[in-house]
Amino acid sequence: MTIEPTELDRAVLLKVTGRMDADNAHEFEEACQHWITHGTKHLIADLDGLQYVSSMGLRSFLSVAQKLQAISGSLILCGLHGLPRQVFELTRLIGLFPVFETAQQAIATL
Amino acid sequence: MDLPRLTLPASAESITAFREFVRQGAAAAGIASEDMERLDLVLEEILINVARYAYTPEKGLVEVAYAREGPGRLRVEIGDWGRVFNPLEADPPDLSRGLMDRPIGGLGVFLVRSMVESIDYRREDSRNILSFTFPNLAPTS
Repeated sequence: MTIEPTELDRAVLLKVTGRMDADNAHEFEEACQHWITHGTKHLIADLDGLQYVSSMGLRSFLSVAQKLQAISGSLILCGLHGLPRQVFELTRLIGLFPVFETAQQAIATL
Repeated sequence: MDLPRLTLPASAESITAFREFVRQGAAAAGIASEDMERLDLVLEEILINVARYAYTPEKGLVEVAYAREGPGRLRVEIGDWGRVFNPLEADPPDLSRGLMDRPIGGLGVFLVRSMVESIDYRREDSRNILSFTFPNLAPTS
């Protein structure tokens, strides 16, 4: 998995590519924590390149979203498809995040 | 039974080898390539549970075996020699809770159940054995 950050005016876009599993899900959480610590309130996760996520990855998404919600921020998801979309839907986590088709649409809401 | 089987330490580091092993059986059974990631997920969730609950803090082995069960169907059996642990006894997660009330864990077994058929647990000769058929032809969602 790779995580490529881009600083925007009011958010940080994190482009997540590859597979998020038990081995590396903590890397996503750490990357998000880094930006939260630096004062970012809105994180946009572009998941267009994410092929796979297991329950350990879901834990990371949930944990980051809860931290951001506690400071009136948000974790916004975009580009969800394939297995990641299916697991977000099955677990009904999809309803707990702002979800957009593309990063451009997500950025436009901020 | 003389099935293809692979035994490795129960740890996150073994997941890749188990995944490749079971994917060989899945491909030979004619399971569609777009189903492979779901199979990976089922394996990962079960193996992580074994490492975390059947063996913590001690270490041990886990064995994965498979058999073709008809066209496009694979029966998989995952066994360990750890303490009695039946992951199917876990309470189902409450999926109706809001963001701040959602517990962080408990989704792995739920995902497994939704992606496989005929999953069952048995304790046999001091082993925990979990077996299931993949894929689930009657998805619940």
